[in-house]
Amino acid sequence: MSLKVGDEIPELVKHPTTRQLVQYAGAQGDFYEIHYDQAYAQSVGLPGVILHGLLKAGFLGQLVTDWLGDRGTLKTFEVSYRGIDQPARPYTCRGRVTKVDGDQVELEVWGEDSTGNRTTVGTATLDMKG
Amino acid sequence: MTATTSIVDRLRARIGQDGPATEAMVEAGHLKRFVEAIGDPNPRWAEEAPPTFLVALAPASVHLAEAEEYGKGWLNGGNRFEYLEPVKVGDRIKATGRVADVYEKTGSSGSLLFIIFETDYVNQEGRLVARLRGTAIRR
Repeated sequence: MSLKVGDEIPELVKHPTTRQLVQYAGAQGDFYEIHYDQAYAQSVGLPGVILHGLLKAGFLGQLVTDWLGDRGTLKTFEVSYRGIDQPARPYTCRGRVTKVDGDQVELEVWGEDSTGNRTTVGTATLDMKG
Repeated sequence: MTATTSIVDRLRARIGQDGPATEAMVEAGHLKRFVEAIGDPNPRWAEEAPPTFLVALAPASVHLAEAEEYGKGWLNGGNRFEYLEPVKVGDRIKATGRVADVYEKTGSSGSLLFIIFETDYVNQEGRLVARLRGTAIRR
Protein backbone atom coordinates (compact mmCIF):
# COMPACT_ATOMS: atom_id res chain seq x y z
CA MET A 1 0.00 0.00 0.00
CA SER A 2 1.36 3.39 -0.84
CA LEU A 3 -0.59 6.29 0.54
CA LYS A 4 0.74 9.73 -0.22
CA VAL A 5 -0.01 13.25 0.85
CA GLY A 6 -2.83 14.68 -1.22
CA ASP A 7 -4.58 11.35 -1.85
CA GLU A 8 -8.32 11.95 -1.77
CA ILE A 9 -10.86 9.84 0.07
CA PRO A 10 -13.92 8.94 -2.05
CA GLU A 11 -16.71 11.34 -1.08
CA LEU A 12 -19.76 10.23 0.89
CA VAL A 13 -23.00 12.12 0.27
CA LYS A 14 -25.70 11.98 2.93
CA HIS A 15 -29.31 13.09 2.59
CA PRO A 16 -30.40 13.69 6.18
CA THR A 17 -34.10 13.99 6.95
CA THR A 18 -35.96 15.14 10.07
CA ARG A 19 -36.94 11.48 10.52
CA GLN A 20 -33.25 10.58 10.62
CA LEU A 21 -32.65 13.24 13.30
CA VAL A 22 -35.37 11.65 15.45
CA GLN A 23 -33.86 8.22 14.79
CA TYR A 24 -30.42 9.50 15.78
CA ALA A 25 -31.77 11.30 18.86
CA GLY A 26 -33.19 7.99 20.05
CA ALA A 27 -30.10 5.96 19.23
CA GLN A 28 -27.72 8.37 20.94
CA GLY A 29 -30.09 9.37 23.71
CA ASP A 30 -29.75 13.09 22.95
CA PHE A 31 -33.24 14.55 23.12
CA TYR A 32 -32.31 18.22 22.90
CA GLU A 33 -35.33 19.75 21.16
CA ILE A 34 -33.36 21.77 18.57
CA HIS A 35 -32.97 18.53 16.62
CA TYR A 36 -36.68 17.73 16.10
CA ASP A 37 -38.94 20.54 17.40
CA GLN A 38 -39.16 23.30 14.79
CA ALA A 39 -40.84 25.86 17.09
CA TYR A 40 -38.32 25.23 19.87
CA ALA A 41 -35.38 25.53 17.47
CA GLN A 42 -36.70 28.88 16.24
CA SER A 43 -37.27 30.08 19.81
CA VAL A 44 -33.53 29.78 20.49
CA GLY A 45 -32.62 31.69 17.35
CA LEU A 46 -32.04 28.86 14.90
CA PRO A 47 -33.59 28.86 11.40
CA GLY A 48 -35.21 25.48 12.16
CA VAL A 49 -34.17 22.05 13.40
CA ILE A 50 -30.50 21.27 12.88
CA LEU A 51 -28.37 18.15 12.60
CA HIS A 52 -26.68 16.86 15.74
CA GLY A 53 -22.97 17.67 15.57
CA LEU A 54 -22.32 14.08 16.56
CA LEU A 55 -24.46 12.81 13.67
CA LYS A 56 -22.19 14.76 11.33
CA ALA A 57 -19.22 13.24 13.18
CA GLY A 58 -20.82 9.84 12.59
CA PHE A 59 -21.03 10.58 8.86
CA LEU A 60 -17.35 11.57 8.82
CA GLY A 61 -16.47 8.46 10.83
CA GLN A 62 -18.19 6.40 8.14
CA LEU A 63 -16.22 8.26 5.45
CA VAL A 64 -12.98 7.26 7.16
CA THR A 65 -13.83 3.67 8.10
CA ASP A 66 -15.32 2.90 4.64
CA TRP A 67 -12.08 4.04 3.04
CA LEU A 68 -9.76 2.52 5.64
CA GLY A 69 -11.38 -0.91 5.80
CA ASP A 70 -9.09 -3.39 7.54
CA ARG A 71 -5.90 -1.74 6.29
CA GLY A 72 -5.31 0.07 9.57
CA THR A 73 -6.68 1.31 12.88
CA LEU A 74 -8.21 4.64 13.77
CA LYS A 75 -6.21 6.18 16.64
CA THR A 76 -7.75 9.64 17.02
CA PHE A 77 -10.72 11.35 15.44
CA GLU A 78 -11.44 15.00 16.03
CA VAL A 79 -14.20 17.20 14.64
CA SER A 80 -15.09 20.88 15.08
CA TYR A 81 -18.55 22.13 14.24
CA ARG A 82 -18.23 25.45 12.46
CA GLY A 83 -21.74 25.88 11.14
CA ILE A 84 -25.22 24.47 11.39
CA ASP A 85 -26.79 22.07 8.92
CA GLN A 86 -30.47 21.53 8.30
CA PRO A 87 -32.25 18.38 7.15
CA ALA A 88 -33.51 17.98 3.56
CA ARG A 89 -30.21 19.33 2.25
CA PRO A 90 -27.39 17.11 1.03
CA TYR A 91 -24.36 16.87 3.28
CA THR A 92 -21.12 15.85 1.55
CA CYS A 93 -18.22 14.28 3.43
CA ARG A 94 -14.74 14.53 1.97
CA GLY A 95 -11.16 14.03 3.06
CA ARG A 96 -7.58 13.71 1.99
CA VAL A 97 -4.26 12.46 3.28
CA THR A 98 -2.23 15.26 4.89
CA LYS A 99 0.72 13.37 6.37
CA VAL A 100 2.43 10.02 5.91
CA ASP A 101 5.18 9.03 8.33
CA GLY A 102 5.88 5.31 7.99
CA ASP A 103 2.75 3.55 9.32
CA GLN A 104 1.39 6.76 10.83
CA VAL A 105 -1.04 8.60 8.57
CA GLU A 106 -3.05 11.76 9.10
CA LEU A 107 -6.20 12.74 7.28
CA GLU A 108 -8.05 15.99 6.97
CA VAL A 109 -11.80 15.40 6.78
CA TRP A 110 -14.69 17.78 6.39
CA GLY A 111 -18.41 18.00 5.75
CA GLU A 112 -19.84 20.48 3.29
CA ASP A 113 -23.34 21.89 3.09
CA SER A 114 -25.13 22.19 -0.24
CA THR A 115 -23.36 25.49 -1.01
CA GLY A 116 -19.89 24.01 -0.46
CA ASN A 117 -19.41 25.61 2.96
CA ARG A 118 -17.28 23.47 5.29
CA THR A 119 -19.58 23.30 8.31
CA THR A 120 -17.59 20.55 10.03
CA VAL A 121 -13.84 20.13 9.86
CA GLY A 122 -11.71 17.46 11.43
CA THR A 123 -8.68 15.25 11.48
CA ALA A 124 -8.12 11.52 11.86
CA THR A 125 -4.89 9.76 12.71
CA LEU A 126 -4.36 6.19 11.61
CA ASP A 127 -1.98 3.38 12.38
CA MET A 128 -1.64 1.45 9.11
CA LYS A 129 -0.10 -1.61 10.79
CA GLY A 130 -3.67 -2.81 11.26
CA MET B 1 -19.82 41.12 39.75
CA THR B 2 -22.33 40.44 36.98
CA ALA B 3 -24.72 37.51 36.94
CA THR B 4 -22.82 35.77 34.14
CA THR B 5 -19.50 36.19 35.93
CA SER B 6 -20.89 34.40 38.94
CA ILE B 7 -22.18 31.51 36.79
CA VAL B 8 -18.71 31.17 35.24
CA ASP B 9 -17.11 31.24 38.70
CA ARG B 10 -19.51 28.61 40.03
CA LEU B 11 -18.80 26.38 37.04
CA ARG B 12 -15.06 26.92 37.28
CA ALA B 13 -15.21 25.56 40.82
CA ARG B 14 -16.22 22.20 39.26
CA ILE B 15 -13.09 21.89 37.10
CA GLY B 16 -11.28 18.62 37.70
CA GLN B 17 -14.06 16.97 39.70
CA ASP B 18 -15.26 13.63 38.35
CA GLY B 19 -18.99 13.36 37.69
CA PRO B 20 -20.85 10.17 38.67
CA ALA B 21 -19.54 7.13 36.76
CA THR B 22 -22.02 5.28 34.57
CA GLU B 23 -21.75 1.71 33.36
CA ALA B 24 -23.32 0.23 30.27
CA MET B 25 -23.16 -2.96 28.27
CA VAL B 26 -22.47 -2.73 24.53
CA GLU B 27 -25.57 -4.39 23.09
CA ALA B 28 -25.91 -5.62 19.50
CA GLY B 29 -29.40 -4.13 19.17
CA HIS B 30 -28.23 -0.72 20.35
CA LEU B 31 -25.29 -0.80 17.92
CA LYS B 32 -27.68 -1.71 15.11
CA ARG B 33 -30.03 1.18 15.90
CA PHE B 34 -27.08 3.55 16.15
CA VAL B 35 -25.53 2.67 12.78
CA GLU B 36 -28.97 2.59 11.12
CA ALA B 37 -29.52 6.15 12.38
CA ILE B 38 -26.21 7.21 10.83
CA GLY B 39 -26.98 5.22 7.69
CA ASP B 40 -23.74 3.24 7.88
CA PRO B 41 -24.36 -0.28 6.51
CA ASN B 42 -20.84 -1.65 7.20
CA PRO B 43 -21.32 -5.26 8.49
CA ARG B 44 -18.33 -4.74 10.78
CA TRP B 45 -20.60 -2.83 13.19
CA ALA B 46 -22.57 -5.98 14.03
CA GLU B 47 -19.75 -6.83 16.45
CA GLU B 48 -17.70 -3.69 16.93
CA ALA B 49 -18.53 -0.11 17.90
CA PRO B 50 -18.14 2.50 15.13
CA PRO B 51 -16.01 5.58 15.89
CA THR B 52 -18.65 7.74 17.59
CA PHE B 53 -20.71 5.06 19.38
CA LEU B 54 -19.31 5.77 22.84
CA VAL B 55 -21.42 8.92 23.08
CA ALA B 56 -24.52 6.72 22.93
CA LEU B 57 -23.31 4.49 25.73
CA ALA B 58 -23.03 7.12 28.43
CA PRO B 59 -23.68 10.86 28.63
CA ALA B 60 -20.74 12.65 27.03
CA SER B 61 -21.05 15.57 29.44
CA VAL B 62 -21.55 16.10 33.14
CA HIS B 63 -24.99 17.58 33.84
CA LEU B 64 -24.47 21.18 34.96
CA ALA B 65 -27.82 22.76 35.79
CA GLU B 66 -26.21 26.12 36.53
CA ALA B 67 -24.80 26.33 32.98
CA GLU B 68 -28.36 26.56 31.71
CA GLU B 69 -28.74 29.90 33.46
CA TYR B 70 -26.28 31.25 30.88
CA GLY B 71 -27.61 32.22 27.43
CA LYS B 72 -30.54 30.43 25.88
CA GLY B 73 -29.20 27.33 24.22
CA TRP B 74 -26.45 24.74 23.83
CA LEU B 75 -24.25 24.20 20.82
CA ASN B 76 -21.73 21.43 20.34
CA GLY B 77 -18.37 22.97 19.47
CA GLY B 78 -16.45 19.81 18.77
CA ASN B 79 -15.45 16.32 19.85
CA ARG B 80 -12.13 14.55 20.00
CA PHE B 81 -11.97 10.77 20.38
CA GLU B 82 -8.84 8.85 21.24
CA TYR B 83 -9.02 5.08 20.75
CA LEU B 84 -6.82 2.70 22.70
CA GLU B 85 -8.65 -0.59 22.14
CA PRO B 86 -11.66 -1.70 20.08
CA VAL B 87 -15.04 -1.74 21.83
CA LYS B 88 -17.06 -4.88 21.07
CA VAL B 89 -20.52 -6.27 21.68
CA GLY B 90 -20.68 -7.67 25.19
CA ASP B 91 -18.14 -5.25 26.64
CA ARG B 92 -19.16 -3.55 29.84
CA ILE B 93 -17.92 0.02 29.72
CA LYS B 94 -17.60 2.37 32.67
CA ALA B 95 -17.60 6.04 31.68
CA THR B 96 -16.32 8.74 33.99
CA GLY B 97 -16.74 12.34 32.94
CA ARG B 98 -15.36 15.55 34.31
CA VAL B 99 -15.30 19.25 33.59
CA ALA B 100 -11.84 20.02 32.22
CA ASP B 101 -12.21 23.74 31.63
CA VAL B 102 -14.74 26.58 31.65
CA TYR B 103 -14.24 29.96 30.03
CA GLU B 104 -16.17 32.83 28.51
CA LYS B 105 -15.45 34.54 25.20
CA THR B 106 -16.97 37.77 24.03
CA GLY B 107 -17.23 38.38 20.32
CA SER B 108 -19.15 40.60 17.94
CA SER B 109 -22.35 38.59 18.36
CA GLY B 110 -22.23 38.58 22.17
CA SER B 111 -20.82 36.34 24.87
CA LEU B 112 -20.36 32.61 24.73
CA LEU B 113 -19.63 30.18 27.52
CA PHE B 114 -17.32 27.27 26.70
CA ILE B 115 -17.29 24.11 28.81
CA ILE B 116 -14.74 21.43 28.03
CA PHE B 117 -15.71 17.93 29.11
CA GLU B 118 -13.47 14.88 29.28
CA THR B 119 -14.71 11.32 29.55
CA ASP B 120 -12.66 8.17 30.15
CA TYR B 121 -14.06 4.80 29.06
CA VAL B 122 -12.80 1.71 30.88
CA ASN B 123 -13.79 -1.85 29.98
CA GLN B 124 -14.74 -4.82 32.18
CA GLU B 125 -11.07 -5.75 32.47
CA GLY B 126 -10.19 -2.34 33.87
CA ARG B 127 -8.40 -1.17 30.72
CA LEU B 128 -8.84 2.33 29.35
CA VAL B 129 -10.34 1.81 25.86
CA ALA B 130 -11.06 5.38 24.80
CA ARG B 131 -11.09 8.99 25.83
CA LEU B 132 -13.38 11.75 24.66
CA ARG B 133 -12.95 15.50 24.89
CA GLY B 134 -15.93 17.66 24.01
CA THR B 135 -16.59 21.37 23.80
CA ALA B 136 -20.08 22.45 24.82
CA ILE B 137 -21.07 26.05 24.16
CA ARG B 138 -23.84 28.10 25.79
CA ARG B 139 -25.02 31.02 23.71
